Amino acid sequence: MLLHQMVDQAALHHPESPAARCDGETLTYGQLARRANGLARLLLETGVQRRGRVAVLLSKGLNVPVSFYGVMAAGASLVPIDPRSPAATVARIVRSTGATHIVSERGKRETVAKVVRECPTVAHVVGLEAEEDETLPCHPWTAVEELATDRQPEVAVIDLDPSYILHTSGSTGIPKLIQHTHRSAMSFLDWAVSEYSLTRDDRLSNHSSHHTCFATFDYYAAGRAGATTIILTPAVMMMPGSLSSLMEKEGISVWYSVPTALVQLSLRGDLEARDLSALRWVLFAGETFPEKHLRRLMAQLPEARFSHVYGSTEVNVCAYFQLPTGSDLDFPLPIGKACSNSVLEVADSDLEPVASGEVGELLVRGSTVMSGYWGDAERNREVLIRRPAAGGLEEVYYRTGDRARVRSDGNLAFVARSDLQVKVRGHRVELEEIEAALLSLAAVEEAAVFTVPDSEGSSAIQAVVVAAKSADWSRQKALSSLKELLPPYCLPASISQVDSLPRTPTGKVDRNALRDRLQEPGELLR
Amino acid sequence: MTRAGLRPTAQQVEARILEYLQSELLSPEVTIGRDDDLLSGEVLDSIGVIRLAAFLEKEFGIDMQSAGFVVENFQSVGVLARYVVNSARGLDSTQGVPGS
Repeated sequence: MLLHQMVDQAALHHPESPAARCDGETLTYGQLARRANGLARLLLETGVQRRGRVAVLLSKGLNVPVSFYGVMAAGASLVPIDPRSPAATVARIVRSTGATHIVSERGKRETVAKVVRECPTVAHVVGLEAEEDETLPCHPWTAVEELATDRQPEVAVIDLDPSYILHTSGSTGIPKLIQHTHRSAMSFLDWAVSEYSLTRDDRLSNHSSHHTCFATFDYYAAGRAGATTIILTPAVMMMPGSLSSLMEKEGISVWYSVPTALVQLSLRGDLEARDLSALRWVLFAGETFPEKHLRRLMAQLPEARFSHVYGSTEVNVCAYFQLPTGSDLDFPLPIGKACSNSVLEVADSDLEPVASGEVGELLVRGSTVMSGYWGDAERNREVLIRRPAAGGLEEVYYRTGDRARVRSDGNLAFVARSDLQVKVRGHRVELEEIEAALLSLAAVEEAAVFTVPDSEGSSAIQAVVVAAKSADWSRQKALSSLKELLPPYCLPASISQVDSLPRTPTGKVDRNALRDRLQEPGELLR
Repeated sequence: MTRAGLRPTAQQVEARILEYLQSELLSPEVTIGRDDDLLSGEVLDSIGVIRLAAFLEKEFGIDMQSAGFVVENFQSVGVLARYVVNSARGLDSTQGVPGS
């Protein structure tokens, strides 16, 4: 089965069931299938090629699932882009993937116009009204509506064809583009539907932006089960009291997000005043859930079960740990055990298995592993490694870059990241990317970036710079320049100015010394 | 401020909130007015909301822990200022009337 076929199946069997709800409005499976097919027809009529790329730049709303399934029904790869990205980042992703079409909306006209000017491959834009002074062919959403049909276009796609290309930040300032196939996505969905017993009656929250692997679960696992995705808007997500009230009203039964969102809900969501008995499963991933917050949340939601899932955009979810209730709960929580479609192995620096209980790098083999990074053969050779198997054959493993070990109870425990890639409020951030952005500013001579624990149980990005001698240093100016270069979650919480950076004997910036220095009273400048 | 009986007016609260947003949470080229949407996702993020709430607690002596974190209270600076003034008034009256 292919991802877009899930919707046609659901539309055939229960067209009136809600596929998604947002801000009180409903999109049924029947409507979703018709509109997605309409978009597919429009894309095909305007020249989308099988295995071509279509970028999607949308804020949260009911057009998100329409665009997801519509692009795939046209036989193309979906490239969902973080709607908060600056135009330069959007353009970089569009250019790298060679997308020929952009699906967007009125509010993004300015960004789309900039991107189109910089990306000659873009031939059509869906979701914008045509304006007289523009040469670019625009097709409003009403054009999609006019082409709506129950019949999916006939396009030859197999399950090993690409389904979507997701992006994260990259260490060189270039986002990593992660390509999955219909099969790698479907394998994850089948596991999720079975493990969490998802049915048509379930209502899955969509908290994360549509370009993340969290949204893969929120939208497609719902599609696989014929369930409903409840799309949460920014306003509701910022207001924990409104969020908990919406969870009650919509009867959200499965939640999936980073811990930070759940910590806010627990602290400020007025949960005692809500009836959240419909909530069956709370899934969290991406960061460590601080013990005191998790224990309190579990006490606040006594009827829900909690699941700590482990993975990355490259492998979807490959391991999980279902939390026992109450007194049986031990911290730190383990990564858990491999999903039924994955094999996990802890390896040494020669990529040989370590002795039982030893720390090493975690390797993953399984059907949910990505096909690779788009346009980066070198990195693919580094992280997708071939190891000999019986019969003179080879098997492909993904190197996670995470250090882990097997505990005596058989569960895997996370030890540390191998490199400078960190998680900040659930977002993957490469510290070198932020340093590169800082160093691109004329006023900055040297820069070092590191993280410290923040009061919310996540990590805060701290930047330390040495200002250029001739420059008029202003933290505010530097921050506003950074906003043009980096997504919001990559922006440092503080930028301190120092006379010099401490260095290790080999001349590398000594981040640990910097961190220690900043923790001394009076040293933290804001 | 509230304890001394010098309750600020909604206008004064608005001015202080705008000043705080402008100097602490927004980049210099972004300006917002009292009626602009605070929750569009373009002005604040969830961490910005928490910082703003901490500022309100410290500045006006109100308690934001309870049921205050709802869209209705944070829609705009104008709306938020009214909420702050009402909360401060609530605090004053409860000081003299236990249990209310």
